[in-house]
Amino acid sequence: MKFILKILKDFPAYLWSGWGAVASILLFIACWDVGNQVYGDLVLPSPLETFKTLSLMLQDDAVWREINITLYRASLGFVLSLLLGTVLGLIAGFFATASMMSRPIVTILVGMPPIAWIVLAMIWFGMGDETVIFTVVVAAFPIIFVGALQGTRTLDGDLKEMADSFDLPWHMKFLDVYFPHIFSYVFPAWVSGLGMAWKIVVMAELLATSDGIGASLAVARSQLDTPTALALVVIMIGSLMFIEYIILEPIKREVELWRD
Amino acid sequence: MENKEEQNLHATNHYLHYPDEKNVPAYLAYGFRPVFLLLSLYMVLSMLLWGLVWSGMINIPFMNDTLTWHVYEMLFGILTAGVMAFLSTGLPELFPGTVPFIGKRLKYVMILWILGRLSFWFIDITGVYIAAILNLLMLGWLIWFAKDVVLDKLQRHASLGYALVALFVIETWFFAAQAGFAQTPAMDILKIALGAHVVLILLAMRRVNMEAINELMEDKEIDDIYISRPPLTNLAVFTVILYTLIEFLYPENSALGWLGLATGAAILAITSDYNLEDKFIWNQPYVLYLSAIFVLMGSGYALMGWDILNDDIYGINHFRHFITAGGYGLTYLMVMIIIGWVHTGRHLTANIYTHLMVVLIIIATLMRGLIPFFEAYASELYLWSAIVWTIPFILYIKVFFRFLLAPRADGIKG
Repeated sequence: MKFILKILKDFPAYLWSGWGAVASILLFIACWDVGNQVYGDLVLPSPLETFKTLSLMLQDDAVWREINITLYRASLGFVLSLLLGTVLGLIAGFFATASMMSRPIVTILVGMPPIAWIVLAMIWFGMGDETVIFTVVVAAFPIIFVGALQGTRTLDGDLKEMADSFDLPWHMKFLDVYFPHIFSYVFPAWVSGLGMAWKIVVMAELLATSDGIGASLAVARSQLDTPTALALVVIMIGSLMFIEYIILEPIKREVELWRD
Repeated sequence: MENKEEQNLHATNHYLHYPDEKNVPAYLAYGFRPVFLLLSLYMVLSMLLWGLVWSGMINIPFMNDTLTWHVYEMLFGILTAGVMAFLSTGLPELFPGTVPFIGKRLKYVMILWILGRLSFWFIDITGVYIAAILNLLMLGWLIWFAKDVVLDKLQRHASLGYALVALFVIETWFFAAQAGFAQTPAMDILKIALGAHVVLILLAMRRVNMEAINELMEDKEIDDIYISRPPLTNLAVFTVILYTLIEFLYPENSALGWLGLATGAAILAITSDYNLEDKFIWNQPYVLYLSAIFVLMGSGYALMGWDILNDDIYGINHFRHFITAGGYGLTYLMVMIIIGWVHTGRHLTANIYTHLMVVLIIIATLMRGLIPFFEAYASELYLWSAIVWTIPFILYIKVFFRFLLAPRADGIKG
C-alpha cells in the first residue's frame, strides 16, 4: 500500500519532468514536416495531415474494431508469455543445472528472427489468431524468462541465511526477502516483453491475417494511402509510449530501487 | 562580535573588496540601486507615454514607424538597464575579487543610459545617428565591462558574454537598417533581437534561479539543494535559436509551427528542476513567481507555433506578448524584487505586494496576448493591459524605493 502511495505521490513530478521529452518529440515532428516539404505528400504526408487522418480514424467504429482485435492478440500473447516466462524462469533460476541448461536454448530463441517464426507459424497454424499469438509468445517469452532467471540467480545468499537463522515463516520469507528482489528484476522484464509483444503483433498481423492494425497497415500500403499508414503507426507508437512511459515507467523506477 | 563575523561572511558572498570612495550616496552604493530606481520609474512613465502615443494624444511620429521603434525601445532600451544591474551586481559574485562598480563612475554610466533614452524619445529632432551612437555606446560599454566573463579561462559564464556580443551586432544591424545602410526589414531584425533576448534571459535566469532558490531554502531551513541543470537550459536555448533563425528565413513554414511547440515545451522543461529529490518547494511563492516566467515564455512560443499550424487564427504578434510583456516583463520584475531584498541586506520575502506584482503582470499579459480571441474589445484591452502592466512597477516604487535609497539594513557596505 505504501508502495502504491509513493508512486502516486511522485507521479506529478515524474509527469512534469516529461516536458524535455515532449520538446524533443516535437523537434522530431518538425524534422518530419521538413521531410514532407522535401519529398512531397505521397512519400511522407505532413504531420498535420497525419494527425487529422488519425482523429478521423479514431471516430470510426471499424478502426476501433481493428484496434480491439490487435489488442486482444497482443494481450493474450503477452499474458501467456508472462506466465510461462515467469514461472519457468523462476524455476530455472532456483536450480543451477536448469539455468545452465536453459541459457543456450534462450539464446537460440532470442537469436531467431521473429520473421522466421511467423513463417513457421503460418505453416503450422495457418492464417489466423493462433499464428499471431504464437509469434508474440515466442518473441516475448525469452525476455521475461531471462529476467525471472536473473532475479532468482542474484538472490543474496546471506539474506537467505539470515532469514533461516531467524526461523522466519515461509510466507514472510517469501514476501519480505525473496519477492522484492525477484520482482525488481521480473517487472522491468515484463515491461520490455510488453514492448516487444506490441511491436511483433503488428508485424505478424501484416503477414498472416486479414484483420487487426497490421492488416490495415497492409491495406494502406497496397492502396498507397500513406496518411493512413502513418496514422496507424502513430496509434501504435502513441499507445506503446502511453503504457510504457505513463503507466509502467513510474512503477519500474520504484521497483528498481528495491535491488539494493 | 559573532554577529558581526556572520554579517561579513554574508557580505563576502556578494563581494570581496568594496572600493574606498568617500561620500558615496546610498543610491550609488551598488550597481543595481540607480538602475532599479530609474528603471521602475521609466517602465511606468514610458508605458504611459506609449499609451498616449498609441491613442494619438501626443504626436511623436518616430520616423513614421512608431511600431518598430516601440518594439526597439521595449527590447533594447530596457535591456541595457537590466544588463547593467545584472552585471554590476552579479559579477563580483560570479567572479570573487571583482571590485563592485559604484559611486561617480556608476553615475556617469547611468547618465549615458538616460541620454540614450532621451535620444530615443526625441529621435525626430536629434536624428537616428545620435540615438545609434548613444545606445550602442551603452551596450558596448557593458560588454567591455563584462569582458572578463568571456575571457575567463574556465569559460563558466562565457555564454552570457557571447549573447551580449550577439545583441550588440543585432542592434548595430537594426540601426544600419534604419539609417538606410541595410535592406533587411527592421521588424525582422527585431524578431531576431527578441530571440537573442530570450536566450540571454534563459542564461541569466539559470544563475538567478540557483542564487534565489538556494538562498530561500537556506532561509527557511529546507534541507535540500536546488540545481538548475545546464542541459535543460541548453535545450531551451537551442530551440529558441532554431526558432528565431527559421522564423527569419521561412516565417510561414509549417515546420516552424512544430518548432514553436517544441520551444514552448523546452522552456517549460526548465521548471522540472523545481522537483527536488527530497523536499517539496512548489508551495514557496518565489518558486511559483520564477516558474511563471517560464510558463509565460513557453506559452508564448507554443501559441505562436499553434498559430502557424492553424489556418483559422491570426494572432502571432499578439501571442508574442506572452514572451515580451509576460516573460520578459516578469523577468525584470523578479530580478528587481530579488536583488531589491537580498542586496539591501534583507531576507527574500514574499508578501501581498510581491504576490500582487506577479499576478498583475500575468493578468496584463493575458489581456494583451489573448486579444485575438476577444477582437470586439481590442481597443479596451490594448489600453487596459498597458495600464495594468504598469501597476506592479508602481507597487515596486512604493515598496522598494526606501530600501534602494537607504544603506543596507545589515549595516555592511554596498
